[in-house]
Amino acid sequence: MSDLEPQAPPLQPPLHNTSSPRDREPDPTDIEKYRKWWEERKLRKLRGQYESALVQLSELVNGNLSTPLNIASVRVRGATRTRESFLGSIIDPVLQRSHDEVPTLGTVLHKTKEIKSLLEETDLFSQVEAVIDRSRDPLAHPDDVDVVFLTREKGRYFLNTSTQVGNNEGGASATCRVRNAFGGAETFEANVAFATKTRMSYNASLSAPLTSNLKTRGEFSVFGMERDNSSFASSSEGVRGLRALVRTGSLPHGSHEVGYEAVLRHIGNLTPSASISMREAAGQSVKSSVYHSWTRDTRDDRILGTRGSYAKFFQEFAGLGGDTSFYKTEAQGQIARSLFSGVTLSFAARTGVLWHLGGRSCFSDRFQLGGPVSVRMFRMNGMGPHDGVDSLGGNLFWSTGLSLISDIPRKPHWPVKTHLFVNAGRLDALDKSRPLLDNVLGSISKPSISAGVGLVYKLDPVRVEVNFGVPLVASKSDGTRKGFQVGIGLDFL
Amino acid sequence: MSRALGISLPAPLRHFFSLFPLYTHPAIESPDKARPLTSPTLWIHVPWSPDADVLSSDVECLKWQAYLALRGLSDIAVRWDIAVDGALDARLPNLHVPLKTLPAASEEVKAQDDGEGELLPAHLIPEWVDGQVGAMDELEGYVDQATRDESRAWVALLEGNVHAALVLSQPSSSSFLSLISPYQHKTRPLETVLPHPPAPLFGISSLLPPYGTHIDVEAIEQQYRDAIASLSERLGTDKWFLGSSSPTALDALVFAYLHCILHSKDHTLRFEVTRRVNLVAWERRVQSQVRSGFRLVPVLRSS
Repeated sequence: MSDLEPQAPPLQPPLHNTSSPRDREPDPTDIEKYRKWWEERKLRKLRGQYESALVQLSELVNGNLSTPLNIASVRVRGATRTRESFLGSIIDPVLQRSHDEVPTLGTVLHKTKEIKSLLEETDLFSQVEAVIDRSRDPLAHPDDVDVVFLTREKGRYFLNTSTQVGNNEGGASATCRVRNAFGGAETFEANVAFATKTRMSYNASLSAPLTSNLKTRGEFSVFGMERDNSSFASSSEGVRGLRALVRTGSLPHGSHEVGYEAVLRHIGNLTPSASISMREAAGQSVKSSVYHSWTRDTRDDRILGTRGSYAKFFQEFAGLGGDTSFYKTEAQGQIARSLFSGVTLSFAARTGVLWHLGGRSCFSDRFQLGGPVSVRMFRMNGMGPHDGVDSLGGNLFWSTGLSLISDIPRKPHWPVKTHLFVNAGRLDALDKSRPLLDNVLGSISKPSISAGVGLVYKLDPVRVEVNFGVPLVASKSDGTRKGFQVGIGLDFL
Repeated sequence: MSRALGISLPAPLRHFFSLFPLYTHPAIESPDKARPLTSPTLWIHVPWSPDADVLSSDVECLKWQAYLALRGLSDIAVRWDIAVDGALDARLPNLHVPLKTLPAASEEVKAQDDGEGELLPAHLIPEWVDGQVGAMDELEGYVDQATRDESRAWVALLEGNVHAALVLSQPSSSSFLSLISPYQHKTRPLETVLPHPPAPLFGISSLLPPYGTHIDVEAIEQQYRDAIASLSERLGTDKWFLGSSSPTALDALVFAYLHCILHSKDHTLRFEVTRRVNLVAWERRVQSQVRSGFRLVPVLRSS
């Protein structure tokens, strides 16, 4: 009888978990594993919610892009030390642009983004967040909104002292930087350094943005330096000067710099064995010049680039007052290409001409060539015309270098690379009685050449090289270096 | 560097290095190189009128110019285009002489004269002059031992009292450029010239550290007047000081000071000399003699 009695099916709660296998749920007894599974699951869920919210939002925004909306005001909160007029000068041009179109949500969003990126570019804020809010103005139109930027300013003062040792040179330096000095994104920086070769140097500069898009900056600086040139010119050189410049553009797309410079150079502290030519060059001279330089750098790495190129053109005209009058132009380029995995070929070239106008050229203006960061396996500034042991410098130079840089076998991740180089160059005195082209051809036809092998170490931010090589062809007056040579620097041939 | 460490390169490596450079171009010449030296040249401070004169405006340089000319040397070139930084120990005058005129130079050195020459500081000039015109006797050109000793006193008087008055009348030119100049030239301070060093501005018992000096200008001027008066008296109508028959080192010194005083802008300083006819006449006579011993170096004339 009992068999005939109908039996109710087993009851199941309505929200019973039917997933099977239940999201690969581990055994709840292994609490660690279970906790991990649970957290991952939660994260996945959250991401899903976020993504769907984002999709909804973007649908909402995209669907309403053409909704009329107007920016009534822009407020920047947290910018307590920044001048209102400065913020106005960068924000106003963005707001005033494209008057003719009807303001919509799209333009509001676009402008908000633009202002945010400008605020970030000022380098004044550690954090910039934008909020679009209904306008608070009681007279506001229903379409009016306020854009509020919630910001946090970066620290204003920066002080740094450091010591450096390297390349037979040791030194100490101190830097002080004041960001946003007068509330208009002005940067004041003062730096003083003492070392063994460059005995003393100081530099104080004040720079400020000149245009509302912040792409152009002006800078005024006062600088001084005392350099020990006794290793190649039996003397020391002291420099005091001031400079005013305008810089615009960015390095990857080409940056221009135009400036004026007034410099007092003083060659003194001659060693007792100094040559008569150096004694004639001793004393003070004043240079007053205008210059322009253009730099473009698309290399992937400044020290050991594997692709891209670097180009720099510099020209200077001196003679607006002062003791010296000349036109000087220099060009510099480097190109690096990866041949195959781990092997890079780098080619670099530099050249310069100094055309002095009347009188004799100053020692400080002339070019020097040779040394571990220039034409290798020649003495530091040891090429070109000499009087005894002193390098007098020249008015025309060219130098090129071809380097094959490769990884250490089986250690491609090491910052040390091997390198094989050939360098060539010459420093000449310009003979003004002959055409410039003759001078150039004469210089190219008599190159000094060196070759060698070495190790390159990328020690950010500098490059260290230890090379073994020999000069293959040299001029009688060139100071050569056979065997090992150590170089530390930024720009190598 | 290997020599400094006391080790030498292994022979195979030395041989390998000796092969390089494989080819050598001729030396690179430069118009900025100093021209070869042909005759003795004195480096001096610029004259008062660089276009017309060869006598330096600096009393120290003028002393040596007068010394060279009065010792009987002539045709000495002078140049003032070299800054004081270029001089030995940053102090002018320097005498630049060809190697072959050096008394101690060997035949070998004379033969390989490359026009570089030798630069002599002021204190080595008498030795070089001795080599050119023969050394002086023990009396150094003075009449007797007593006048030679007396000359020392006159030198002290000139380099002390007269020099102090001269320095005082020439205010140190502190231009903007010299103020910011990296390498300052320290001129001999007045305190070291005065026979009695002046007291500092603050006493030993003062809380302030010793700073500056209190210079008694009146006393210096009085001493200067006395010195010029006695100088005029001692010269009288003699041809050379202390009755010497030929010019001596003292005459060179006196000339240098008288010439500088006569070109001084300070009226009172100048007046003390101009009112003494014998000094003025003597200075004028010696001036023409000194001037005739020098000529301008061709480098300067062409530029």
